[in-house]
Amino acid sequence: MSNTKDFIVEELKNQIAGFKTEVKEQTVGTVIEVGDGIVRISGLSDVMMSEMIEFKSADNRQDTPNEAKNQVYGVVLNLEEDSVGAIVLGNFESIKEGDTVVSLKKILEVPVGDNVVGRVINPLGEALDGKGKLDTDKFYPIEKIAPGVITREPVNKPVQTGIKAVDSMIPIGRGQRELIIGDRQIGKSAIAIDTIINQKGENMKCVYVAIGQKESKIASIVAKLKEHGAMDYTTIVLTGASDPASLSYIAPYAGCAIAEYFLDKGEDVLIVYDDLSKHAVAYREISLLLRRPPGREAYPGDVFYLHSRLLERSCKLSKQYGGGSITALPIIETQAGDVSAYIPTNVISITDGQIYLEPDLFYQGNRPAVNAGLSVSRVGSAAQIKAMKKVAGKMRLETAQYRELAAFAQFGSDLDEETIQKLERGKRLVEIFKQDQYEPLPVAKQVLIFFSAISGLLDSVPVEKIRQFEKDLYNYADTSGENVLNEISEKQEIDKNLEEKMKKLVNDYKDTLDYLLKDDISKN
Amino acid sequence: MDITPKQYAAALYDSVKEKKKNNLKAILKEFVKFLAVNNDILKSEKIILEFEKIWNKKNKIVEAEIISADVLDKPTVKLLKEYIAKLSGAEQVFSSQLVEKNLLGGVVVKYGDKIIDGSLKTRLNNLKEEMIK
Repeated sequence: MSNTKDFIVEELKNQIAGFKTEVKEQTVGTVIEVGDGIVRISGLSDVMMSEMIEFKSADNRQDTPNEAKNQVYGVVLNLEEDSVGAIVLGNFESIKEGDTVVSLKKILEVPVGDNVVGRVINPLGEALDGKGKLDTDKFYPIEKIAPGVITREPVNKPVQTGIKAVDSMIPIGRGQRELIIGDRQIGKSAIAIDTIINQKGENMKCVYVAIGQKESKIASIVAKLKEHGAMDYTTIVLTGASDPASLSYIAPYAGCAIAEYFLDKGEDVLIVYDDLSKHAVAYREISLLLRRPPGREAYPGDVFYLHSRLLERSCKLSKQYGGGSITALPIIETQAGDVSAYIPTNVISITDGQIYLEPDLFYQGNRPAVNAGLSVSRVGSAAQIKAMKKVAGKMRLETAQYRELAAFAQFGSDLDEETIQKLERGKRLVEIFKQDQYEPLPVAKQVLIFFSAISGLLDSVPVEKIRQFEKDLYNYADTSGENVLNEISEKQEIDKNLEEKMKKLVNDYKDTLDYLLKDDISKN
Repeated sequence: MDITPKQYAAALYDSVKEKKKNNLKAILKEFVKFLAVNNDILKSEKIILEFEKIWNKKNKIVEAEIISADVLDKPTVKLLKEYIAKLSGAEQVFSSQLVEKNLLGGVVVKYGDKIIDGSLKTRLNNLKEEMIK
């Protein structure tokens, strides 16, 4: 017993002997005004822009219980002639006029590292999932200048979203920034989540940044990701709808800093910003409180730079610089389909293309409701695998023709043979593009079904049976056509030989069915 | 455009520096008249504050506040003053003293927006935090 006591005393002595205090000159200021999440400070004469500051309220100096002693930090955003404007990261209710503020002489940083994977954290790196503190000693600044021209290279590897409509018509490359835009409740997040789920085994780290989202929604997303084993490579940065605007404002930058850690290790990262319209609103709130002049839609003048500097940090680095990439999927919510509002037009012009989701399609049951005409991918086709490129080119053309004919055919019933055939083909293509949520499809299967469609193998399948047929075909291919699927994913190209094999596989399967249309011409 | 107290103070300083004492009265009278014409008499308090700041800065004067647990003797205060002068590069240091028992020991020196915390209380707190870690 006394042994233990001696040890404790000895250890204590060592600790105290090793403890040296240093008296340092510190710069302090006093709070002169507290607003909703912002403070105005006098003093702090040599503070830097976006430097971290610490609030020391009078209460904290007394012997208050530990939980109340939680330190409150802030970030300097305004440097004025006789005052400093700052945002409070956290609970601003405990800050009072006259409180002391100390500058910490460092730019705002977030903890990064391999340990953040699988966690749900807030933008300051505090755990929100009840799994305890983040165990990492590496920090990255949340604001960083994007990689320059010489460090980059064009996208050359695809991101497989697992969504047929996207992978075929709007392909995304690693390092691309592809905007997902549409009204509320139309499946924008669903596309992003499916993409994350599909990254299993693709050697990709994922960061999902939820900005001002309902916590219930995030809880269900986390549960879904866990269910599909996607949390093994995903980090979630969350600011809830009730968190202060300052946290929402820094959330995407914090998420990007986490992604940059993996980028520096030469890894590929996918980052989803859900959504940037809420981010712009949070920034508008902060700017107006800091009395910056409002511009169009009351957004401050630098709202374009707000998003451009964030999205510019997505990149594909060349081999000499590690070869990593950050692919960004920003999400923008439009009001009643108005893509010409301020924030949507800004982000459309910054990104390398957009996936436009349309309410009409959604309510017709075409889900995901991707509008193929208005959606583009400006660089992604360079990264598409050859097999997909071959089938997708024809698909795109045929769908476009179908849309035109369908609008025209509404007026008359007398149509010639060719037109009817095109319409029938188009109907089947539309059916194929339908896909359930949380069911991303491997690229080999996508190639198989698209190939079947454009080579007319599906013409004998009734339209209402297409989805059933598709599902069963995959099952059939999994059991008896495995080598064909493997060949597609290995070769990534369709040659004559493979073409025949695919045709045979589909026809073999069709022979087992009894619901085919009689006038099957495609077999000849 | 409104004239800010800072601008008033700067102007006042420029007009009074290197002037003899008997001229000052006339200058000040003119200055107050000018304030009255501009309806800025209410700003006078702020102007005085700003003027003091400018005056101190130009003449390298620092006003410091020394807070200690006990009343300090004269040699210690003199040492502290010299120390502050060295740190801030000032030529003259005016100091005021304050006694605050809960510092336990040591001193806290404040000047401008700088603070040097050498109190026993802070050191004990730091030790406490170090031990918790």
